[in-house]
Amino acid sequence: MAAEPIVVIRELTKSYLQGDLNVTALNGVSLDIQPGEFVVLMGPSGSGKSTLLHIIAGIDRPTSGSAMIQGINIANLNESQLADWRNQNVGFVFQSFNLIPVLTAAENVELPLLLTDLSSAERRKQVATALELVGLADRGHHRPDQMSGGQQQRVAIARALVTDPALIVADEPTGNLDAKSAGDVLAILQSLSRDAGKTVIMVTHDPKSAAYGSRSLHLEKGEITA
Amino acid sequence: MTIASFVVKNALRNRRRALLTVISVAISCGLLVTLLTLQRELTIPPESEAASLRIIARNKVSLAQPLPSKQLSIIEKIPGVVAVSPFTYFGGNFREETVTSFAQFAVDPVRFKNLIVEGRIADGNYDDFIADRTSCFVGADTMKRYGLKIGDRMRFSGTFYPVDLDLKIAAVFQGTVDDRGVFFHHKLLDELMGNPGTVGTWYIRVASAEISNDVIAKVNDAFANTSAEVRAETERAFQMGFISMLGNVKLLIGSVSTVVVFTLMLVTVSTMSMAVRERFRELAVLKALGFRRRELFSFILAESFGLALVGGALGIFGAWALWTGIDLQKLTNGFLLYFEVTPRIMATGGVVAVFLGIFSSISPSIAVARLSVVQGLKTLD
Repeated sequence: MAAEPIVVIRELTKSYLQGDLNVTALNGVSLDIQPGEFVVLMGPSGSGKSTLLHIIAGIDRPTSGSAMIQGINIANLNESQLADWRNQNVGFVFQSFNLIPVLTAAENVELPLLLTDLSSAERRKQVATALELVGLADRGHHRPDQMSGGQQQRVAIARALVTDPALIVADEPTGNLDAKSAGDVLAILQSLSRDAGKTVIMVTHDPKSAAYGSRSLHLEKGEITA
Repeated sequence: MTIASFVVKNALRNRRRALLTVISVAISCGLLVTLLTLQRELTIPPESEAASLRIIARNKVSLAQPLPSKQLSIIEKIPGVVAVSPFTYFGGNFREETVTSFAQFAVDPVRFKNLIVEGRIADGNYDDFIADRTSCFVGADTMKRYGLKIGDRMRFSGTFYPVDLDLKIAAVFQGTVDDRGVFFHHKLLDELMGNPGTVGTWYIRVASAEISNDVIAKVNDAFANTSAEVRAETERAFQMGFISMLGNVKLLIGSVSTVVVFTLMLVTVSTMSMAVRERFRELAVLKALGFRRRELFSFILAESFGLALVGGALGIFGAWALWTGIDLQKLTNGFLLYFEVTPRIMATGGVVAVFLGIFSSISPSIAVARLSVVQGLKTLD
């Protein structure tokens, strides 16, 4: 028997005003994602792939339709509930790494754990595990400006992993990396999906990156075309 | 890492700006404390426990109008009056000074001894003062300031009275709230003025503070409907009357203090707004990671609060150390006597610093509350 989908999107619409223009970013999108899938969202700029990713991750709200993640319609959660939900269920990886420059790698990874009830020792243990998973166990005391882009993105992945979320969303995670570093990052994301059972949803323009995923979806003008 | 260390690291990420903010808050708080201390110095006269036992009676028409000497025998018979002495302000200039910072009063030496109970004789002998009608009784601060000693002469040129004084120092007092005055024989002034039979005011000591209001009423009533009606009041009320002649000093200093606080507010609000604005994308990331509005507000509040508090503490304690360490009495030629930075003034400065910390975090916090994660993240790509 097939597992329950972790993501169930139905007739999702997102429109917003850009000046006087009403722009439709998503137009009746429906989609199921199974646990442990590595789904790649592709499409031209303005196709709605990032908007879809943001709604699934709970940092944007749909205009209509439903987004059930792990059985919860996140559109019904208030601001505070949504923040808690994100902390416990979603790990973020951004194109520009978005590490806090005044914190060390270990401190950056520890940030989401500050919102939990874990003790300082428990937090340190989880941080060490996450950094080890991305191959940076010995760089925990380095600040972001002392690391390469690839290393910074691996720290960002460790930060996404550290709370052990079911869902990891990555918005063009290799966009600022060289080919070697991009390969390393994608391999980690693939391993998280394949070996650790995490559901990974990644936005990319790059077909080579898309090859790491287990399924690719193409969006155009706010609709899934393939 | 703890939330506190995260806040500290954020606050110090731009060290130059943090330092400049702390310095500007410190200087402004120091200035505020200085202004409040000045206001206190000018509007609250020195007060002692014994002062609550003293009453000054002056002519009801005005302080410049004298009172007849014959009132003495009536006043000293009023129940509750322990001692009474004429007390006439001479207002002379000492040596070549154009403004002399200590007052000279003509008194009855024998009666006056019972009025000043809180001081002690530091040098010389009070009986020598009583015995020699050309002698004077001088405060220790004035002796020290002018390098005087027992037996020296003090010459005053009259400004209110058309006569000059040449007095020999017979005794020195100290231990009162104002050890600067010079007291001399009223008889000498009477002689120089041709025995006009008048005094400036009456200085009265009552048996207890509880009956002072009753004695004031009796003194006033005793001369009601006479050609020289009196207005008796406590020593403190009399001093406050003098201060009111300076104009509304309180309002003036209060206005300047308000401007200082307002300027300080603009500086810190601007600094915190800039600090938060350049961190919008980081704050958006924190929101994405699960930090709620109230947690981000706490970060901003703690940061601005910390900067304001450090600056405030430096300014307040800096002002306290400065004004405690400097001999302002000497520097200002006796114009400022104590210039005491009281705990109450320091607390006021502290409250202003706390208020600043809170107020300066409001505007950036509203901006962060309104910040959508998606909009915040867009600023980085």
